[in-house]
Amino acid sequence: MTVSRFWFMEETVDIPVDFAGIRLANPVFTASGTSGYADELSDFMDVNALGGLVTKSITVKPRKGNATPRIVETDSGMLNAIGWANIGLDAFVEEKLPALDKLSCAVFVNIAGETIDEYVAVAERLATAEAIAGFELNISCPNVELGGISFGTDPSQVAAVTSAVKRAVGEKILMVKLPPAVTDISVIAQVAVDAGADALSLVNTFTAMVVDIETRKPVLANKTGGLSGPAIKPIAVYLVNKVYNEVAKGFGIPILGMGGIRTASDAIEFIIAGASAVAVGTANFIEPGCAVKIIEGVKEYCVRKNIANIKDLVGSLNQDLTD
Amino acid sequence: MSEKCSATKRGEYWATVRANKQIGERFYRLGLEFSGAGAEAFARVQAGQFAELDLSSAALPSAETIPQELVDAAGRKILLRRPFSFADVDTRDDRTLVDILYCVVGPATLRMTTLAAGGSVSVIGPLGNGFRVPDGKKTALLAAGGMGAGPLQHLAKILTADFPQIDAVAFAGAKTAEELPFERRLDKIAQQLEFSLPEFARYGVRSLVATDDGSAGFAGPVTDCFSEWLGKSDLAGESMVIYSCGPEQMLARVAEIAKTRNIDCQVSMERRMACGIGICQSCAVECRVADSAETVYKLCCEDGPVFDSKEVVF
Repeated sequence: MTVSRFWFMEETVDIPVDFAGIRLANPVFTASGTSGYADELSDFMDVNALGGLVTKSITVKPRKGNATPRIVETDSGMLNAIGWANIGLDAFVEEKLPALDKLSCAVFVNIAGETIDEYVAVAERLATAEAIAGFELNISCPNVELGGISFGTDPSQVAAVTSAVKRAVGEKILMVKLPPAVTDISVIAQVAVDAGADALSLVNTFTAMVVDIETRKPVLANKTGGLSGPAIKPIAVYLVNKVYNEVAKGFGIPILGMGGIRTASDAIEFIIAGASAVAVGTANFIEPGCAVKIIEGVKEYCVRKNIANIKDLVGSLNQDLTD
Repeated sequence: MSEKCSATKRGEYWATVRANKQIGERFYRLGLEFSGAGAEAFARVQAGQFAELDLSSAALPSAETIPQELVDAAGRKILLRRPFSFADVDTRDDRTLVDILYCVVGPATLRMTTLAAGGSVSVIGPLGNGFRVPDGKKTALLAAGGMGAGPLQHLAKILTADFPQIDAVAFAGAKTAEELPFERRLDKIAQQLEFSLPEFARYGVRSLVATDDGSAGFAGPVTDCFSEWLGKSDLAGESMVIYSCGPEQMLARVAEIAKTRNIDCQVSMERRMACGIGICQSCAVECRVADSAETVYKLCCEDGPVFDSKEVVF
């Protein structure tokens, strides 16, 4: 990118990021479940322009997913209850992995399961895949009966699944995706870090419900769904800042921050709050190329604020409350 | 059509609003114009394909015009795009003109009514798979329920232009005469097959109208009207193809009629969608697997919205 400040000079800026031992071209990801297996977005953006992307959840066996309706729009947000609909590990390896191998951005595979063994099976099979930089451990999905958030809200289960998967992923990065609606998210974050998490991603969606007042039934077939979109952004920024201060900063663990990011300003808020990188989620549904705009916007901000290394922005929340 | 319409590249394009005409109490016809890459992308849209419109920045209409049951929802901030199929697609010089027939049903379509000529709107498309014309068909039966008349008007145009060997007949139904989404007042319409609906007549397609309450045309569900017509017809099942778009209950009934009479049938399904481009997995349609009791979820946006009726689990 070039920014003209004076007639005689053009400033260019790169915003590479070190993330759990790998170098990313920039700190912007697309989030799991909102960028498919990458090919779906390629009509709308250059996927290689991203710092990274996280695939849709992969389980050992294909999953049909929940009955419909699976989504409902709310004020500045949406609820989804997809239920890990995915093609399964075998089809992922055969049909999707070859294309992911051609990408130059960092690819993280979101892994999910109903038992620890299922999580481990996916991780083991993909641990040596060159296309993959790392894994995002989904222990915070609110839309499945077994697995998901039932792991993520119980510290002993978080420790068990994280350490088991950590042993399976070999040299790859293990990022643990945290559930946001727990008594103290830092407790869960700490347990994940102690069990071997190389990075943390937060937040997943918030369990929520919409009621049809005519029928007095929940609108979603699954009754509840996960709330995402701009509606959750301020809570997500707060939780990222909390986990950054209480866990991540001290252990040097990077955070992938997400929740309602639509613009560069949103992304920068998360970075200032403590995220080393950010993920664009629901906004991909509305403006599928917006991640590229966000990258450009973050660069412009860095130029404007004279930030030579974006690392200096991470967790730079100004605590001085005087003017 | 599958042969004639090559796949066009989907993308996000800006369209200029040409017109946004109210044609009934709740019905509007929105005219959009694409130029440049958008004109190219939308020039050969198949009937039944759709686009996702961003209506989040459209204004609310004045308070007194908001229908009572939408007052509470009206102020809600719109986040997601909304899917619409096309009632007409036309090319003029290097521009593509499309018409969208829509009904005010919620906060987004309420805002849609304020789009004014000269304004612009972001459109993602063209998306999904439209109606296909199998080989060897002589008669196409178009069965529309309510707003389903939109894409079937586009289909009537394409059939007339590209498949002159096919004779098309349209059936359009609604609960009442008021709820028929056509420009002409239809309360005195006869229950006869004639060129009664200008929206179909302009393509040389005859039409029958049905209303549940009998306030226009056939008294009863459009599927009864359709079934009765088929009963009187001496056409062979294999020479016909049925195209249907409307409420799911109606599509289920059309599918049943098609199965009984062994007629090929394509139905255009509707689902709540977030993205429309195959990512979010929201718009699942339960489908049968051939030679198996199993079912799978296909995506309305990518595998549909037009499905073979035998495939869909209603």
